[in-house]
Amino acid sequence: MSIKYALLGILAEGDLHGYELKASFDAKVGEFWSLNYGQIYSTLDRLEKEGLVTHDRQAQEKRPDRKIFSITPEGRNELAQWLATPVAKVRALRDEFFVKLVFMDKNHPAAILALIDKQKVLYLRHMNRLTQRKIALKTEADPGDLLTTELLLDAGLFHAEADIKWLTLCEAKMKAGGDNKE
Amino acid sequence: MIELRQASRKYQQGAREVYALRQVNLLINRGEFLSIMGPSGSGKSTLLHLMGGLDQPSEGEVFLDGKPLHGITDNELTLLRRRHVGYVFQFFNLLPLLTAVENVGLPLLLEGLPFSQVKLKAESLLQKVGLAERTGHRPDQLSGGEMQRVAIARALIANPAVLLADEPTGNLDSHTSEEIFLLLKGLNDQGQTIVMVTHDPKAAAYGNRILTLKDGAPVQDIAIGEQAA
Repeated sequence: MSIKYALLGILAEGDLHGYELKASFDAKVGEFWSLNYGQIYSTLDRLEKEGLVTHDRQAQEKRPDRKIFSITPEGRNELAQWLATPVAKVRALRDEFFVKLVFMDKNHPAAILALIDKQKVLYLRHMNRLTQRKIALKTEADPGDLLTTELLLDAGLFHAEADIKWLTLCEAKMKAGGDNKE
Repeated sequence: MIELRQASRKYQQGAREVYALRQVNLLINRGEFLSIMGPSGSGKSTLLHLMGGLDQPSEGEVFLDGKPLHGITDNELTLLRRRHVGYVFQFFNLLPLLTAVENVGLPLLLEGLPFSQVKLKAESLLQKVGLAERTGHRPDQLSGGEMQRVAIARALIANPAVLLADEPTGNLDSHTSEEIFLLLKGLNDQGQTIVMVTHDPKAAAYGNRILTLKDGAPVQDIAIGEQAA
């Protein structure tokens, strides 16, 4: 997944200059994705070379001209195709906790079980923060992106829940393995 | 608010004594929203029953608002429970022939209060749980989420010191569950002390403290939320 389609998606709603693009990006997906201006401008450069985006210069008093970016018909095509295609790549399993599990001493399950407990607490706290955020969302303005933000927080909650369930399974299997050895 | 001191609950299983809870020490403060988690058979429901006077400890002590729930007669326990504890169960436990307002008011009607007086209070509680338009409906005319809202209103009718909920959304889909948790969270924000048994981390995340039980004893007690940020 690249920044490319997010920028095309934003420009499909209207022409913007770089600063506005960044603000719109933050409002729409900032909850889980942060970008700096460098990444935005280098992506816009590339999109222009590919003919998906174009720009106009707007004169400003006492300041250099600024560029107003707009999406081209080719850009709209590319965006529409991307939107209609399901995501083939599933989430990576390369979780840092998993790497720790690989390198921990399996002959000392107590240390692993203690780590699992601490990890679960972190996930529960994370879920509590997402929940608080979700509750706060209900009192905020801007109903346009309310639903997507809420669904995104739900995704975070479901993933954390799955992680907790997986940790519980790790715990059970590790205990069962330890018992079988005796 | 609720305090357990060395509280145990054992059952006779044939010749064997089995402990559902062992020597639990626990203090729950006013205004807390505590979630109790743990695998099945870990003693979650037993603990909730001791807190609410639905059961008594085999050993140890349980206090609700400073009043002992142990070593008293069944009649005394029933009175304490009716006046100070609100219960919400997984299967709603509403009476099918009564309307929502009658179900909600039932605990006070059983106390002998006149219906005219009970009705006003029941209606205002139904309004509080978002069912102002449903007061005259019977359970079979309500959705699962609505039935649980009625059950929550009924649990609040006697202004209980604590609201105890045992897997309150175990029978509801995730969207409806979320609405019930938001309702509970809203009540807690207004000061209602809540203790909820759940196996669902998403539910537990609405509380501000999570107690995990294993084999009849607490193994983890964490504060979450603002104060722990």
